[in-house]
Amino acid sequence: MRAIAVALAVARKDLMSEWRTRELVPALAQFVVLALVIANFGFQFDSHNAPAIAPGVLWMALVFAGLVAFGRAFAAEREQSSLEAMLMTPASPAAIFAGKALAAALLLVVCEAVLLPTLALFFSVPLSVAVVSAVLLATVGMAVLGCLFAAMVARVRARELLLPVLTLPLWIPFIVVGGQAVQAAMGGGGGGASQATGLLIDLDILFVVLTSLTARFVLDD
Amino acid sequence: MTDKRLQTAAVAAVALMLVAAGFIFLYAPTDALQGPVQRIFYLHVSSAIAAYGCFAVVLLGGIAYLWKENTTADRLARAGAVVGLVFTTVTLVMGMIWAKPIWGTYWTWDARLTSTLVLWIIYAGYLMIRRLAEPGRQAARFAAVVGIFGFIDVPVVHFSVTWWRTQHPGPVVINDALPAQMLVAFFVTMACTLFLAAVMIAIRYRIEVLTDQAAEKVVVAPIIASSEAGTAR
Repeated sequence: MRAIAVALAVARKDLMSEWRTRELVPALAQFVVLALVIANFGFQFDSHNAPAIAPGVLWMALVFAGLVAFGRAFAAEREQSSLEAMLMTPASPAAIFAGKALAAALLLVVCEAVLLPTLALFFSVPLSVAVVSAVLLATVGMAVLGCLFAAMVARVRARELLLPVLTLPLWIPFIVVGGQAVQAAMGGGGGGASQATGLLIDLDILFVVLTSLTARFVLDD
Repeated sequence: MTDKRLQTAAVAAVALMLVAAGFIFLYAPTDALQGPVQRIFYLHVSSAIAAYGCFAVVLLGGIAYLWKENTTADRLARAGAVVGLVFTTVTLVMGMIWAKPIWGTYWTWDARLTSTLVLWIIYAGYLMIRRLAEPGRQAARFAAVVGIFGFIDVPVVHFSVTWWRTQHPGPVVINDALPAQMLVAFFVTMACTLFLAAVMIAIRYRIEVLTDQAAEKVVVAPIIASSEAGTAR
């Protein structure tokens, strides 16, 4: 019970500081729109190939926005050395980590709230419940893993380089399964959307469990 | 293990690999369809299995380190990652050489190939965080966490051929798809390769011990050097 209260308090703190500075979300929103613009130049879009290409563009934009969002999650703490202070409190490191991950995930969700409608608008692909749920389910797993590695690289040299190298390969399951679900929902071929949703939930459980077991070794160092 | 014993083991490993080569090139029959290039199979599959084994060492070493803070476990994990990366490289390169004449291309984005490439990247990342984190407890802890997550990809590589429809063939050994002579050659090669992997891990472990000892001694040296440079000026 106490752990949940701690996690919520940490998440609230992070979201409030983001609300006051309005630093990350506007930049990220702009970034994902820019990603769509770049994709437009990279691929020759027309009404025929849009359903096949749009899911790929969606995941590309999401993955790189996620890297930036999670990379920033521990940046402010590192700059002000406030993580050490938080860890000195009796609160459990796992709860603090859960709070940070929750806040970072919510910021990414806000960014998705920009990305998905823009994608639907510019590439005229349908925006269904299946697409939104696949993206949200993938966000859970991506957030726990991304924040775990972000907490790690915040304390090593060359952190901007290392975060993508460590995180991207382990995000691939979410991109594969989520991509399949979105592809099916957008009518770009491929079936088994409900199976993909089930698999995304399984992956989320696996990554949340593994992260909750290992988070304390990363934070409490 | 002493250096003398390690030397003997290394010589034995090389000799055994030559025995395996004898089985591959002289004992095993030539494949009726693919011709001599099929002989890549023996070492290709064996090194993949050796890589799985090495990454299992990384996983178990990582768990043991996080649990007991045991330096031996951490050094074993380090050794396993390096050797596993070597065997993954061998698997990938031999697979590509085999793929060119049979599939007509070095690479195809098939689930088995892609997941193996991802495996390579994950453990390259493992070695990178080792290098970039603060040496000692932090590097060991961070690497252990990466090793635990990274191992998720090993079953994905292994079962990719049954989970997805792949260009890469499914399991042939356990499905009795091979003639007896090929099976014998395969099991001999696999045993020799696993022995080679174990010896390589032992040697690498020895190197890690020596590196750690050297690092403990070296700490004072730059200070002395800089103070000497200071007096000289």
